[in-house]
Amino acid sequence: MLIEIKNLQKNYLMGKIEVTALTEIDLQIRKNEYVAIMGPSGSGKSTLMNILGCLDTPTLGQYLFNNVDVSSLTDDELSAMRNREIGFIFQTFNLLPKMSSLHNVELPLMYGGVDKHERKDRAERALQRVGLAERMHHKPSELSGGQRQRVAVARALVTNPGILLADEPTGALDSKTGDEIMALFDELHNEGNTIIVITHEKEIAEYAHRTIFLKDGMIFSDAPNS
Amino acid sequence: MQFEENIRVALRGLIEHKFRSFLTMLGIIFGVASVIAMLSIGEGAKRQAIAKYQELGVTNIIVRDKNLSDAELEEVRAKFSQGLSLSDAEAIKEIVPGVEEVAPQSEKSTEVKFADKSSKSTLIGITPAFIKILNYETAKGDFIDEQHYDNGMKVCVLGAEIARTLFQNREPVGEMVKIDDQWLEVVGVMKSKALFTETVGELASRDLNNDVYIPLSTFHKRFEPENELASELKQLTVKIESSDKLMVAASLLEEIIKRHHYNNKDYSIVIPYELLKQEEKERRIYNILLGAIAAISLVVGGIGIMNIMLATVMERTREIGIRRAIGARKADIMSQFVTEAVAISITGGIIGVILGVMLSLGITLFTDVTTFIRLYSVFIAFGFSVIVGISFGYLPAKSAANLKPIESIRYE
Repeated sequence: MLIEIKNLQKNYLMGKIEVTALTEIDLQIRKNEYVAIMGPSGSGKSTLMNILGCLDTPTLGQYLFNNVDVSSLTDDELSAMRNREIGFIFQTFNLLPKMSSLHNVELPLMYGGVDKHERKDRAERALQRVGLAERMHHKPSELSGGQRQRVAVARALVTNPGILLADEPTGALDSKTGDEIMALFDELHNEGNTIIVITHEKEIAEYAHRTIFLKDGMIFSDAPNS
Repeated sequence: MQFEENIRVALRGLIEHKFRSFLTMLGIIFGVASVIAMLSIGEGAKRQAIAKYQELGVTNIIVRDKNLSDAELEEVRAKFSQGLSLSDAEAIKEIVPGVEEVAPQSEKSTEVKFADKSSKSTLIGITPAFIKILNYETAKGDFIDEQHYDNGMKVCVLGAEIARTLFQNREPVGEMVKIDDQWLEVVGVMKSKALFTETVGELASRDLNNDVYIPLSTFHKRFEPENELASELKQLTVKIESSDKLMVAASLLEEIIKRHHYNNKDYSIVIPYELLKQEEKERRIYNILLGAIAAISLVVGGIGIMNIMLATVMERTREIGIRRAIGARKADIMSQFVTEAVAISITGGIIGVILGVMLSLGITLFTDVTTFIRLYSVFIAFGFSVIVGISFGYLPAKSAANLKPIESIRYE
């Protein structure tokens, strides 16, 4: 099992009041699954994504990633975990604006301690994979939205992570470009990647093979897509 | 992540924000430049003082006949003092230990004529010991020698400036000049000397290049004194073997002169070495003050760095969040920001050093203040700027590293 979540709870302090964002979450994700996490705003899907992405740790319960208990990790170990095992893809791309595509894609490898030549080599291959070999030396501002998101996908892919974690990946794109990105996700899934997409759009969730629906911080339904 | 990568990331950050980096650097640039300029002014003043006292001879003691009014002169003569005289010179040479040489001299303001030209000058009667004591040199011909002195010959040596005024391009050596009613043969011309621009102790400044030297014997035989009651000599320059014997010699010398002059204070004693030490002491306080002012400007520069970097941490929250999300550790963020601060201060330091050197040169060139840049002052200024960079970069770096990745990545 790649991801195993048992009776997870996450509380927040909002001012002085403690708010429960997630509770009684039990979840298992196998390798090479393609999962969509859906839910209205405030349902806790962002919180779940933060925990899945090792950006945050649960208040209660257990989160095992590859049999490693994430809640027991130190800040540095969480950083290393994000670096090696998680490939983030964000709604707003989150590229560093003053760097070329290539540098952006190299960045996770740099923090992973990969040496310069291998880094460049792997970043170039990742960009080739998403069809941007020609745009390697362009800065994000010189690219279209779809191209930017491809750079972000390449950055997520470049470390060969355990999961690709996409948060509303088409939210900032027009529907045609969005479809292209989702088609790319299909290909990546077919190549053996594990993909988790967080979305509130049904059409996007339908690309996945399984949909988890969150409501009021709990799992409302969890079923394979027909 | 390796150190080298940190530097690369930080430098790239600076280059990406050239203007901001430059503004951040300004404080350091001016801080370093002012430290260097201030220290160079202090050093220049020191060297100028040393040169000045070396001209007077740092192992010399100078006894000078006081300029007295006629009434005062009458009074001291009535109290048995004959003024500064050759017998003083003899006594000093015999009694004071460690005396190497005593050079007596007489002076008289006069006019020197050659052909249709004339020039105001100070006529100085000296013995051959004079040139040995003061390290003066002739540019042409020879100085007054034993033979000239012993025979009271009518010869003279001209200062560089007066030689130029009277002879222009002609060769002065061998020519005859007229001083008062005497004709004297020019046997030599002195090398040009640095001008004495300030009064040292009781020594009034004057242009040494306008002096004319003749044998003391000739002076006394051929020239009228300025005043009937005038002392035989105007000055005694006493050279002591070494500076450690100087103070003992000086006090004994003073005792002898005092007795010879029957307690009349018609002379003054100048010890260049003592004046040099005293001036050095005064200057040290002044230099510390200058340095402190400059150091404050460096600290202000450092605060500038901190201020702008703290502001950029806010501005770059998103960037920090992204870096953290893709695997940067706190330490990576920390070192990125510290390295940026250090890179800013090093670059600022280098520009500051260049500016400071130019400033010092400019001061020397366009004002009459002498500056001198010692290498250590460059290192001090530069090293200090790096320390400032590290210490003032630390706080912003820490606040950057402690940002929560979830919050910062969503920061708009």
